[in-house]
Amino acid sequence: MIKQEKIYEDLFPLLRRARIIFVLVVALFIFLIMNFWKVQVLDHERYWEKSEANRMREIALPYQRGLIMDRDGTILANNRASFRVSLIRENCEDYDKSCRKIARLLNIEESILKERIKKYESMPLFKPIVVKEDLTLEEVAMIEARKLELPELVLQSEPKRFYPFESLAAHVIGYLQELSPEEMKKSLYGERRLGELVGKIGIEKQYETALAGVYGQLVEVVDSLGRGREEIDRRESARGQDLTISLDFDIQKEAEELLGGREGAIIAMDARTGELLALASYPNFDPNKFINRFTSEEWLNLVNSPEFPLENRAIRGLYSPGSVFKLTVALGALDSEIATDETTFVCRGETTIYNQPFSCWREGGHGKVGFYDAIRHSCNIYFYNLGKELGIENISRYARMLGFGMKTGIDLPGEKTGLVPDAQWKIKARGEPWQKGETISVSIGQSFMLVTPIQIAAHTALIANRGARVTPHLFKYLSADGKRKEGKNQFLNHEIVDIDPAVFEQVIQGMWEAVNNEGTGRAAKILGYDVCGKTGSTQVISEDKSEKPKKKESEEEEEEVKTHSWFTGFAPRENPEIVVTVIVEYGGMGGVTAAPLARRLFNIYMRKHDR
Amino acid sequence: MIDRSLLRHIDWILVGLLLLNSFIGAAFIYSSSHYLPGNYFLKQILWIFIGSIALFLFLTVDYKILVSFSPYFYIIAVATLGGVLLFGRLVAGAKSWLKFSFLQFQPSELTKLALILLLASVFSKFRRDYVSWKKGLLSGAVTAVPVFFVALQPDLGTALTYIPLFLAALILAGMNKKVFIYIMIAALVLGVVGWNFALKDYQKNRLTTLISPSQDPLGSGYHILQSKIAIGSGGFLGKGFRKGTQSQLRFLPARHTDFIFSVIGEEFGFIGVVVALMCYFMFLNRLFKSVGLARDRAGVYIVFLVTVMITFQFFINVLMVIGILPITGTPLPMFSYGGSSLLTNYLGVSLVLNVKMRRFVFV
Repeated sequence: MIKQEKIYEDLFPLLRRARIIFVLVVALFIFLIMNFWKVQVLDHERYWEKSEANRMREIALPYQRGLIMDRDGTILANNRASFRVSLIRENCEDYDKSCRKIARLLNIEESILKERIKKYESMPLFKPIVVKEDLTLEEVAMIEARKLELPELVLQSEPKRFYPFESLAAHVIGYLQELSPEEMKKSLYGERRLGELVGKIGIEKQYETALAGVYGQLVEVVDSLGRGREEIDRRESARGQDLTISLDFDIQKEAEELLGGREGAIIAMDARTGELLALASYPNFDPNKFINRFTSEEWLNLVNSPEFPLENRAIRGLYSPGSVFKLTVALGALDSEIATDETTFVCRGETTIYNQPFSCWREGGHGKVGFYDAIRHSCNIYFYNLGKELGIENISRYARMLGFGMKTGIDLPGEKTGLVPDAQWKIKARGEPWQKGETISVSIGQSFMLVTPIQIAAHTALIANRGARVTPHLFKYLSADGKRKEGKNQFLNHEIVDIDPAVFEQVIQGMWEAVNNEGTGRAAKILGYDVCGKTGSTQVISEDKSEKPKKKESEEEEEEVKTHSWFTGFAPRENPEIVVTVIVEYGGMGGVTAAPLARRLFNIYMRKHDR
Repeated sequence: MIDRSLLRHIDWILVGLLLLNSFIGAAFIYSSSHYLPGNYFLKQILWIFIGSIALFLFLTVDYKILVSFSPYFYIIAVATLGGVLLFGRLVAGAKSWLKFSFLQFQPSELTKLALILLLASVFSKFRRDYVSWKKGLLSGAVTAVPVFFVALQPDLGTALTYIPLFLAALILAGMNKKVFIYIMIAALVLGVVGWNFALKDYQKNRLTTLISPSQDPLGSGYHILQSKIAIGSGGFLGKGFRKGTQSQLRFLPARHTDFIFSVIGEEFGFIGVVVALMCYFMFLNRLFKSVGLARDRAGVYIVFLVTVMITFQFFINVLMVIGILPITGTPLPMFSYGGSSLLTNYLGVSLVLNVKMRRFVFV
């Protein structure tokens, strides 16, 4: 009976319920197929691209930057092989753990490491971020040995900039630093890569486009651990062009040694072409220390140092020209015919002009002074009178004509303009009318007048060339694969200022006497080599650099310390070849400090050119 | 002793479909692991072989006897789960394996069969139109124990696969609307409480990143995204066998286990997916059709619960690889690599065959 009951048991309600579930299953199947249709057919393209991006990796192959050489081929900026290690964030299993491990392995602070990775957050996925460069061989070996343990690290070799003579001509050559995300946004350097090393100052910056090469590219298939499986495409990198600059290694070295730790600048320039043979500025720095992807303590110290070691004083230092400016006034006075080479004034050591007392640098005065002696002895009283006659408008006109108050056009970034004051400027800048007495100060290069050493050098060359202007420059030529590239000399200057050459001859006579006839520049005299020059000693206005540490103790000498020491000159007198300009900050009298340095440079140039 | 005549009633088509799906899976296990050490493909073939033998051996015992012994199976299973918790080996952060000298085994898999048999036994004499409170609570309790143990391992994915068995049993037994609503409310409360107190952070992440996987490409959304990329990049025709870049270059996680279906999608495209789904559907369809061929109530429950067990895991897995459900670590029955799961499913199918071939009772 029981069995019977079981056989005819009514299972239909159960089966009905099961069928409802089955209908649900059929519906879900249809739903599934619709979903696959959407993902695989409708959205196929999008996912296809993603899968391609997943498996393809583009690796930039670093290029060699062009060399920078001096005029004789001495390499001033070179490249050397180096290893760097980068992190691929996406390959970290546990980001924090990885960071800790890597920091320990590479001996970097974990916080610095993380900060750096954060800086490059915007990099595309799977792009390596450089975490340490210039690895030692031990570090390379260590990373290589942990390759399996740390698949997120990639070792890469890259050529690295190297300046064999360290601080030599550092201001001229400049240095490299990593292109920052901000600069990238502003595209200051055009189409460049984030993290690429670019020239930040000097020649490295000026000729960045020529020196920089072109990245090569390697496209490879990678697996999910970022391991390269197969190379698909390879384009080699192109080396940058080599640049030969006009610097003369020996003269540059001498110039830097002559400064010998004193703040200032020395310029040696080919008078005929404007090619710079030496451009020294102190304090300086070692550019090798900048080619570092990490902002080092050292860098911050340099930037924040009160002595501004990164400033190239030769093109960015603003100084009063002092007595050097007397040349401009002399040229102006002769050219405008308010004086001749026979004009004389009496110097009693002091005088009163416009009810203001003015004095000569020599107590007791020079007595009766003629034109040539005025330049030779740098007599203030004489030039007060010339300046008074000329007036500020004429002085500023001649100053501009002779190259002040504007850039010389040197091929270095950051050149300063200086300042040629006149009535209009004073109203505009100071809101006060021009005082007549100020004209008197300006005529001996004091007061508001500001010049850069390179302007003085260009000015001196203009006098040496009897009115033919030159553009100071460092560029000589570019070469690729050892072959010199010919191009138009963009620094050729055909301009001749509108001043009678005879006037120049007369000023040059004064400059010759200043050096060769017991004048203020006698310390620059060289037997058998006609050096013409002019000294300058500019009083430093005490408020200007009152913080300056005093170098000498006694009060008497302290006075001396408050003057910058100038000398500018050229040689030989006929067919001049070289211009030398020296400024030593707080160097005292120009004839005492600057002139002997100039002499040494003339000397080495002369010996080099077999005279 | 097995009656020779019973052999004639074995549903060979169901056996064929089971093997067909197993070999499709094995082919893609080969494609996605041939470059890995571990011989996954050969091991899977071995498991298919072992599973088949177990399937036929298991047929020799009448399912009515199995049902009558079900409380013992259940107690052994639960005790083993407890043992795993105490002595189990940590694999991928979960204590779900028992390691014997010759093989590793996941007891939580076979527990499903013990639970199915027990539920069938609970409802075998229940003849009312709607489920009673007593039966409902009893079946709920016997389900809750292994769910609790497995969730502690912690293997939430597997634990969740027990619950549909209980629900399916209730559905079969019949629920009036009131009970249905109670269950819905209970599920909701459980969900809220679970989200706030029970779920671990990684589990929560899995759920949240499901909504927008590309926001956190390397977090837990990464796997879902890679799976979708694999499937989507396969397109209509696929990239070809062993040519899927997502799987061959290992961007796809758990390629030979949980994400095996993504490999099919990548290498054989939409066409391959449809064919695979069709094969699977024929298999599930055959299982559902078998429900109506059971002779008695216990048989109906067994066939239906086994069907639900496989169907549920199938949907959980496939909806996961296409990014609709969160990653729970549920393998695709028959397709995914893994002996415990495969053996359990084979024995499950064996139960279905068992019920089916004994439907003609002349005893």
